Amino acid sequence: MNAIGAELVKLKRSLSWAVVVLLPITLVVSGSVMTLIDGRPLEDGWHTLWMRSIVFYGLFPLAVGIAILASLIWRAEHRGSNWNALMSGPTSSLRIVLAKATVIGMLAAIMQVLAVATTIVLGKLVFQLPGFLPGEYLIAAVVIIVACFPVAVLQSWLSMLMRSFAAPVAVAFVGAGISAFLLVLKLTPAIFISPYATVSRATQLGTSTFADTGEVTGPVVALIIGAALILSAVLTTANTAILERGDTRT
Amino acid sequence: MSLVVSTEKLTKSYGSRTVVQDLDLRIPEGCVYGFLGPNGSGKSTTMKMLLSLIRPSNGQVQIMGRPMNRSTRRELLGKIGSLIESPPGYGHLTGRENMRITQRLLGLNDQQIDFAVRTVRMQNQMDKKVREFSLGMKQRLGIAMALARQPRLLILDEPTNGLDPAGIEEIRDLLRRLAEGGITVMVSSHLLGEIDKTATMLGILSQGQMIFQGTRDQLFSAATPDVLIDCTHPSRAQQLFARHHQTTLENSTLRLPGADDRTTAGVVAALVSEGIGVYGVRRDEQTLEQIFMSLTAGGGL
Repeated sequence: MNAIGAELVKLKRSLSWAVVVLLPITLVVSGSVMTLIDGRPLEDGWHTLWMRSIVFYGLFPLAVGIAILASLIWRAEHRGSNWNALMSGPTSSLRIVLAKATVIGMLAAIMQVLAVATTIVLGKLVFQLPGFLPGEYLIAAVVIIVACFPVAVLQSWLSMLMRSFAAPVAVAFVGAGISAFLLVLKLTPAIFISPYATVSRATQLGTSTFADTGEVTGPVVALIIGAALILSAVLTTANTAILERGDTRT
Repeated sequence: MSLVVSTEKLTKSYGSRTVVQDLDLRIPEGCVYGFLGPNGSGKSTTMKMLLSLIRPSNGQVQIMGRPMNRSTRRELLGKIGSLIESPPGYGHLTGRENMRITQRLLGLNDQQIDFAVRTVRMQNQMDKKVREFSLGMKQRLGIAMALARQPRLLILDEPTNGLDPAGIEEIRDLLRRLAEGGITVMVSSHLLGEIDKTATMLGILSQGQMIFQGTRDQLFSAATPDVLIDCTHPSRAQQLFARHHQTTLENSTLRLPGADDRTTAGVVAALVSEGIGVYGVRRDEQTLEQIFMSLTAGGGL
């Protein structure tokens, strides 16, 4: 039984690919578009570029993007009796929950790779920055991918519960906004409570933004990955329990 | 005869509204069980409880001799094929891709998928997107998805809904073939004629309660059909019984409702003693519709 394999088939001809490609490229480019128009150089090279693309993107567009992906993935299940059919099969609730979250997490990871690639292309070809994107930002990019997973689990859960496309996206927008505010106040423990805070914090890694020290150290990376793993486990367990107990609504 | 499905006092209520009440279903192995009732009588709710899609408020479900509940459902569901409410299928995918999802979820081999697709005669339509399928094709694909796991029990909720007469006949024929192959089939409908010729066992649901369960013959004997009498002087005969029986005259045939064999004999004797020649006494043939109406006491279909 291969629940993830079944989910991958559903991605064929899916609108989610358009989101995966267009969202990160558009957002990263729009982050530096004013600098481009003015024709001024980037004050601090790669560092400034990363701030304008990835840190901005991590404040709320990333969470909203994952929310849109989750709503798109779940929309197919809420149509007709697909959800009945899935729940009338031998696939366990845990496997269903994990398969959905994994596919959304995977799309979020591809989105992240494209965002970083776009940043590098911008830096090298458009701004003609010397050297290459600093190594600590590549580490940060991997941490961001891990931190996307609890957001994927939460958004998958919300989209499972709500047939509405927009409602879970609105939750992500508000949740990411509140979480960003908490990080501005340097309330770092928020990363253990809100997955939106975890992923935002990850995008700030190594940039001295808000609570960040500007250095990518082992303990900081471990803290963010730890928070991501704990939140993922807790949210997956809760989602599975709700799915296992509740009645299937169609 | 072993039972594939049995329920004890199965009940589902939402707040103070009871949708299904004290249902004791008995579905013997290898039969086609026709589950009849008007729209909103609780058929889908009952089927969803059998699949543990929704939890009963009260009572129990036994499938293949084992209790069906949240801890056993995933194991039992591997042997139950089902189609609940509308047919499933991802519109943006082709028939083949939809079957591949079923194959991966259930861990089936290519032969099992091929067999299911051929059984519903869809092998030439599989490269079309499901969005472009007709309703009949969607129903057949849905049945193929349910069949691919080679189930012992097939639960189909209104599989003929919205189909044209040819499509209905095809589904009927399919159900008969499946039952001959040893699969127990439970099929619901609000149209009695659709099930009449296929089902070997019948359960009739009205407002969440079972008002009849048994074979087709038992159903017909449960309601006494009218006695029709042809005689030489029908109008005089009607006047004769007007005080005791609710007789009516139809094309010079006397219709006598609710008469058992003794009453019928008495009526014939009385007619003869009055000098009226009796040359025809028979029971009216009843359709399932008429029986259903009499069982539900005129409740609309």
